[in-house]
Amino acid sequence: MKSKTEQKPAAKNNQASNGPANSGQKNGSGSAPAQTKGKFTQVAPQRKNPHGIPDYRLEVPNFQTVEEWADGKLRYNVKGDFSAPAPSLCESKYLSKEKSIEMYRFMLLNRKMEQALENLFKQQKVIGGVYLGLGQEGCSVGAAFALKKEDWVGPMIRNQGAMLVRGFTPADTMMQYMAKAGAPTKGRDSGSHYGDVHIHNVVAPISHLGDSIPVMAGIAMGARLQGKNIACLTFVGDGGQSTGPSYEGFNFAAVQRLGVILIMEHNLWAYSTPVELQFACKDLADRSIGYGVPGVIVDGTDPNQVYDVTYEAAQRAYKGEGSTLIEAKMMRMRGHAMHDAASYVPKEYFDYWKRRDCNTRMEKYLLDRGWLTEKDNKDLIADVEAQINRDRDIADASPFPQPEDATTGVFLDNSVKIPFKYGPPKVKEVQKGVRVGEASNVSHYK
Amino acid sequence: MAPVTYLEAIRQGIWEEMERDPSVFCIGEDIGVYGGAFKITEGFIHHFGKERVVDTPISEAAIVSAAYGASLTGMRPVAEFQFMDFISSAHTQIVNACAKSNWRWGAPAPMVMRGPSGGGVSGGPFHSQNPEMWYAHTPGLKVICPATATDAKGLIKSAIRDNNPCLFFEHKYLYRRVKEELPEGDYTVEIGKARTHREGKDISIITYAAMVYVAQEAADILAKEGIDLEIIDLRTVAPLDVDAIVNTVKKTNKVIVLHEDVKTGGIAGEIAAIINENCFDDLDGPIVRITALDTPVPFSPPLEKVFLPKVEDVVREARKLKAY
Ligand SMILES: Cc1ncc(C[n+]2csc(CCOP(=O)(O)OP(=O)(O)O)c2C)c(N)n1
Ligand SMILES: [Mg+2]
Repeated sequence: MKSKTEQKPAAKNNQASNGPANSGQKNGSGSAPAQTKGKFTQVAPQRKNPHGIPDYRLEVPNFQTVEEWADGKLRYNVKGDFSAPAPSLCESKYLSKEKSIEMYRFMLLNRKMEQALENLFKQQKVIGGVYLGLGQEGCSVGAAFALKKEDWVGPMIRNQGAMLVRGFTPADTMMQYMAKAGAPTKGRDSGSHYGDVHIHNVVAPISHLGDSIPVMAGIAMGARLQGKNIACLTFVGDGGQSTGPSYEGFNFAAVQRLGVILIMEHNLWAYSTPVELQFACKDLADRSIGYGVPGVIVDGTDPNQVYDVTYEAAQRAYKGEGSTLIEAKMMRMRGHAMHDAASYVPKEYFDYWKRRDCNTRMEKYLLDRGWLTEKDNKDLIADVEAQINRDRDIADASPFPQPEDATTGVFLDNSVKIPFKYGPPKVKEVQKGVRVGEASNVSHYK
Repeated sequence: MAPVTYLEAIRQGIWEEMERDPSVFCIGEDIGVYGGAFKITEGFIHHFGKERVVDTPISEAAIVSAAYGASLTGMRPVAEFQFMDFISSAHTQIVNACAKSNWRWGAPAPMVMRGPSGGGVSGGPFHSQNPEMWYAHTPGLKVICPATATDAKGLIKSAIRDNNPCLFFEHKYLYRRVKEELPEGDYTVEIGKARTHREGKDISIITYAAMVYVAQEAADILAKEGIDLEIIDLRTVAPLDVDAIVNTVKKTNKVIVLHEDVKTGGIAGEIAAIINENCFDDLDGPIVRITALDTPVPFSPPLEKVFLPKVEDVVREARKLKAY
């Protein structure tokens, strides 16, 4: 099977229709447009998939996982061509130089924090497993980076980068994994299972996959009742999207035209299960047709692509135009969690996707553009490392929770006043004192 | 004021709360233009607008999750299950997301999940169940099962004002059969407080929901024989009113626990354990359980009759216990 990796010529003139009404967010002064440099491709759908879904990727790899019997055992092998060199990143339509560097810093922070977590795990300072988002930092960070403060994020296990963008610190995540008293859940829940309704606007995920999707819809609905259209970004894996709540939740969001942005993280594996055993279609974005919402495909290892489509989806959300489905294609570069060596994954995948590492390509993008000098980059990396070291020490120093903390807060006392997120509801004024009439005598069972 | 039905009492309760507090809204299947399968929200959409009476796709998971999400922004949703049997389709959302929310990450979920439960109407195995114990078993949830119209109104109001996820099990057999004069004005009934339905001195019947009336009928029959039943209506199975249970045991020293839920894992077993732990020495006889059979709820009337606890069962067991 021949792979189709040759790139089409870069789209020189972007169709304005793809951009938001106001793309004035781009505020970097020194940024020459890509087409004048001729080196970078702007984010624009290069092609459409067979079902008409815009596909922003610069390459469409054609390979798959196949089952194979060897020595009386079933294992996975690959079919297709893995030889293509990695494309460079697209140029973002919206990100300024400063914003691009800030986004890159979050990606570095994400990666270095996870490296620190891995070390803490090896030092047996972590309770339970560690789930890494290696190779997916650009997707988590790029998506969350496209939102406003008043928006919400519903992260999954590999979205620690999104948590950092929302204002949680590396120490927060480390303390979560170390089950410390200083952790956001004070040791009550593990790892990535934390959130905050007050400042960060992050929903603490439950383990059950797909369940955040309808919750995000509810948050958008609550905000709308309070007179505000917001964007609610959440993620689901190629495995997680198979669950009922994924469908039920996103269908509800679509019907209600709520600003849910669903990123399907198509990273080829769900624990040990290849996508070939998860769904029968090729592109998960095809599901958007069934939901009746716009869908797009992006390269999940290109943070600029992810940023731009999330940004555009957020603009739709603010205008009350409803939900968007984004499929981000990438690769889970480690096992499911630290205990899992991923020996079931054919090596070709790691080689192919390692060449497409989001952080390395983002670094090169910034250097090539002249937005970062080698020295700037070194300083930035040193700064991030220093932050990680400080945060690791904070996490290490945090005590374990007091045993008596286990039982508090199962219920919230009714004397506590729960505030509105966006102010008092802006609902239809009703005439006071109207008594409810008697219901008609019709009922499903007598 | 003229007496109103259990169903009208619930309607009044939700209506008045929606009028009082703009953060209250209803969400569920067929609750808008149609007014709900039992007409609980009939007319609401016209008065309050479609933003506050939200008709949803058929997805209990989405209804509960959307209500939960909205509650995270400070709204107070009232989610309807067309039948409480369908609550199982939102089980994970209720027991994992909602119930653990405040404890796990300090995110309060002030929301009500309500709907018709219970048998006696030939609803069959999927329109008659009493699934309250699936939730009473889960820390973080309040589980409310009113028997009277007065309580139904007062408790739905308390549930809406509560800062925690509350499950409100209406009994569909009682909807249009129970009729009472309600207290005037805005009143609430405290969640977690049992009610003495009938004072008596010989035997305590601890029960709730539709079985209160079965106990009442049995008490009327037994009174003629000189057996004086005390009937305790729990009103909520979570939290349980332990004081009320202990006090009635101390008073009569003999206990029957009666419920329409099946026997295994029903609240009767829990109550027996509470009595053991708190007032074992006050017992003058074994704790008797009268419950539905450990089978699915059958459809055909003669089968359902066998399944459900009956007045004769209570009379028979009470006579035995009196003689013990
Ligand atoms: C409903 C449910 N079933 C099973 C699990 C256990 N589980 C946790 S993660 C996972 C694999 C998820 O794969 P995917 O959704 O593709 O996300 P990825 O790990 O690739 O990021 C499984 C099976 C779960 N969390 N939820
Ligand atoms: Mg996956």
